[in-house]
Amino acid sequence: MTFGFQPLFKTSDRVIGAGVFPLDAAHAATQSKGTPAIDSLLASAPTLIETGLMTMNSVLQTMQNTVGALTGQKSYEPLSTPPVNGPADIDVAVSEFANRLARVARFTPFEVAELGSVFKKVLSAARVSFDNVEGASPLNLAFPMQLALSCGTLFIQQALRVLVTYEMVGRRNYPRFLADFFESFTDTPVFVGLEYRTLIEDYEARLTRQPHDDATRVELGRMQIKCGLYEAAAGNLLKAASNPSVRPLALHEAAVALHRAGKLEESAQVSRDALTASPNDERARVWLWLTATKMGGYPEYIPCTQRMEMKVGFEKASVEFEDIAPKIGLDKTSGGRGVAVFDYNNDGLLDVAIACAHGGCNLYRNNGDGTFTDVSVSSGLDTAVNSFVITIGDYNNDGHADLFITRLGFYAGEAQLFRNNGDGTFTDVTLDAGLKMWGPGFSASWVDYDLDGNLDLFVANNIGGMFDRKTPNRLFHNNGDGTFMEVTTDAGLSTTWPTIGSAWGDYNDDGYPDLFLSNGLGKSQLYRNNGDGTFSDVSAEAGIDDNCFGSICLWCDYDNDGRLDIVQFTWSDHEAVIHTMRHGDGPPDGKPLRIYHNNGDGTFTMHGRDIGLTGCWGTMSGNAGDFNNDGYLDLVLGNGSPRMDRLEPPILLESDGKRFHNITFAAGLPFGGKGHGSNMADLFGDGRLSVLLAAGGAYPGDLLTTRVFCPKRLPGNYLNVRLAGVTSNRSAIGARVCLEEGGRKQYREVSGGTNFGCLPFEQHFGLAAGTKVDAIQIRWPSGLIQRFTGLPINDTVLFTEGKSEWQRPYRR
Amino acid sequence: MPQEMVAPDTQEIGGTVDDFRLTAIGGGVVGLQTLLEGKNGAVVVFWSSVCSHCTRYDNYLSGFASLHPDLGLAAIASRQEETAAALRAAAAARALLFPILHDPTGSVAKKWFTHQTPRVFLIDSNRVLRYRGAIDNYRYPNDLEYMAYLEPAIAQFLAGKPLTRTEAASFGCAIRSIYYDLPKAL
Repeated sequence: MTFGFQPLFKTSDRVIGAGVFPLDAAHAATQSKGTPAIDSLLASAPTLIETGLMTMNSVLQTMQNTVGALTGQKSYEPLSTPPVNGPADIDVAVSEFANRLARVARFTPFEVAELGSVFKKVLSAARVSFDNVEGASPLNLAFPMQLALSCGTLFIQQALRVLVTYEMVGRRNYPRFLADFFESFTDTPVFVGLEYRTLIEDYEARLTRQPHDDATRVELGRMQIKCGLYEAAAGNLLKAASNPSVRPLALHEAAVALHRAGKLEESAQVSRDALTASPNDERARVWLWLTATKMGGYPEYIPCTQRMEMKVGFEKASVEFEDIAPKIGLDKTSGGRGVAVFDYNNDGLLDVAIACAHGGCNLYRNNGDGTFTDVSVSSGLDTAVNSFVITIGDYNNDGHADLFITRLGFYAGEAQLFRNNGDGTFTDVTLDAGLKMWGPGFSASWVDYDLDGNLDLFVANNIGGMFDRKTPNRLFHNNGDGTFMEVTTDAGLSTTWPTIGSAWGDYNDDGYPDLFLSNGLGKSQLYRNNGDGTFSDVSAEAGIDDNCFGSICLWCDYDNDGRLDIVQFTWSDHEAVIHTMRHGDGPPDGKPLRIYHNNGDGTFTMHGRDIGLTGCWGTMSGNAGDFNNDGYLDLVLGNGSPRMDRLEPPILLESDGKRFHNITFAAGLPFGGKGHGSNMADLFGDGRLSVLLAAGGAYPGDLLTTRVFCPKRLPGNYLNVRLAGVTSNRSAIGARVCLEEGGRKQYREVSGGTNFGCLPFEQHFGLAAGTKVDAIQIRWPSGLIQRFTGLPINDTVLFTEGKSEWQRPYRR
Repeated sequence: MPQEMVAPDTQEIGGTVDDFRLTAIGGGVVGLQTLLEGKNGAVVVFWSSVCSHCTRYDNYLSGFASLHPDLGLAAIASRQEETAAALRAAAAARALLFPILHDPTGSVAKKWFTHQTPRVFLIDSNRVLRYRGAIDNYRYPNDLEYMAYLEPAIAQFLAGKPLTRTEAASFGCAIRSIYYDLPKAL
């Protein structure tokens, strides 16, 4: 028997049955009756509890700071280099120790004979965690107090996270959610450090000693799936399935392995058996459905009770897409991460950079003939292995777009700034620029927050481990000489929650870009730019106070009323997604993506289900663009989770200006996927906005191929607008464009990074059947306002700040 | 520094690749020229015994010599901290039948602009690079979405035809990484 994957909560044997793994336990727990006391407690006073915990946290942190100051210890600072000798800060060390204990619990056999081994591992975990901490010595009398306070703050922060996640997931699905969460976070360091082989060898050795330990055999099989060894995995899982205590899970996982190995018929049969063993296993049902879609329909032997119908994604589409990635050479296979579209060589053509969780960053040069050439090696970007989010901006205003990347936002890594040398090559200037940092950097964006004409940089940090404390988000001011200076504290940007998405937009039209944070847990935040280098958290007064699993976010004017709204994508647990698939909308307590509509008076109104945003998806990336050229911004969502049995379709939401319509499958997109970088760009300068989706997951076995969905036909007239700043930053990030056509206006604000998908600076306007653009008005970040008339349609035009003439960037 | 010692800035398809001389884990020194002797060309794959992506291709690489008798083959193990003993142990445990060369400093990988495993290079008898990148799209051959890259390139090369595709993005495990320098997770 093992206690690998033991759930963090106590679940009785009556509920668990014979299973010892969290999926079994978690699934059984979802069937349990009765209302735990925590439900009543949370229902009665969630805000009170949250406030109480936050107050306790502040008190303990103050005590920590006081003790630290008395003992002369340095206060915590974000790391600039990797902690190769272990943590130096006591708070980080306590978190590290807790993370290590979690891995010991997860991966060590629960046997009397293993007690000695467990003891050694715990001691080793303590040594690795605390050896490098200044003052971590029994001789330091203050250390026990510091340790106790640190444990106290960690406990409170974890309690806050539990409180919020419980509120969002609900009691029924919480056990499974927690098991998934535990599994992902304990797996990550093992896979990043390529230590999975150690685990596989351990499992195999255990099976040599105890061939009938089927729980271990299931774990071996699951580990093999994560490593891409699907056939070996299927063999082990099918063998383990003869044991009734692990049969449902073993069969479901075997079906996953067989499907991924391309053995669809066998997978369907095993899925049938899995559902026979566990008729209410909705994950198995969805997997069988996915298999059936690839087989062209359910085989006859699948009973009706095991079938399902996809209830969303078939609304009437005004555009039909085809995957052109293989044809144009963008079919990169990877773990999928950020996708940026930009013109790196100033030839007027939009090029594409794709980051990669399992490999280097690829740069594809647009040849102008409908194809792309991989120039990763010659550009030097292939060295950026394991990159995450890419964001583009000309930080040194030399006319060549530069590139900043983060790394492994669910673990930790080094960010990098690559300067574009203007000759097709990039140079890593991170150190010289003063941007050396180590942390769970998730999203990053370029912004000229003080309007001095130089692009500043914002990096949003997630948490890198289950018990990690929040790494501060960081704002770096561009000194104008190629270097940056951190100004986070002076700017007043402080966040408790792990941040996933961040986006800049001027919501109050004062010219200064404001900041929205989409936190992975807890409440989102809106920071108003005060115009003096400081920011004020105005979330409460703006009406942004809803807890959710915030994913990435963006500013846009979705209803063409002239005011920037916020699109916040959300991540939903698997059960909420399955509910959406089967019932046509998310569960009543689910949290679909939302749009915060800007009321124009400093407040926002949250819209979601009332405007057609009804589905709950595990959105990891998303973007806005008018792909049907009707004059209203549409949305694309890339969805999924690290789990190997969760392949989730990308979603296309078409807007008619009032509501969004899910046209995904009607428009020709696939039923399965795992979306990271999603982007929209007119790659060929012909008005067809392609949807780019870099796909794949965190595990090495979860590689998928990038897809580029291009409209088969031009769905309407268009105009593409490009801007070049002169007094303003060269990229014109923050500039606002208003296009007037046929009595209506459309607004765009140039973004400095939309997280996993860094949109091109080019602004794409759909004109539907309109045949004349009446005017374009540009508000540059410098404050200059220019108005242009006599513009073409179905063309791409470039405006340079201060110049009265426009140009065509394409050399035709 | 003599001109010939300056590391190239890039490596182009159609250009000549650098030779190497590395010790095989079974003994002896092997160079690219050795692989090309009596052959029409060679395939070089950067490889690691702990890379799960490489494991997927064990059978393919072990059967490569039979499949393509006109081509030489060698795997170069460049990964940080990977010892010859560990390579030998993995080769024995997995019954690997292809030659494995050890590049303990990673210098060949660096000169060949390779940062992850597996990454293959198809070289003609004049040491001209004909194809570079992934073996396939990591699907299994009976998967509906399976796409082979190396095999079609080899077929076209051996048939004397121009290659339809000369590069496909590589994926895999990092050869050198700061993550390998951090304290072990387990």
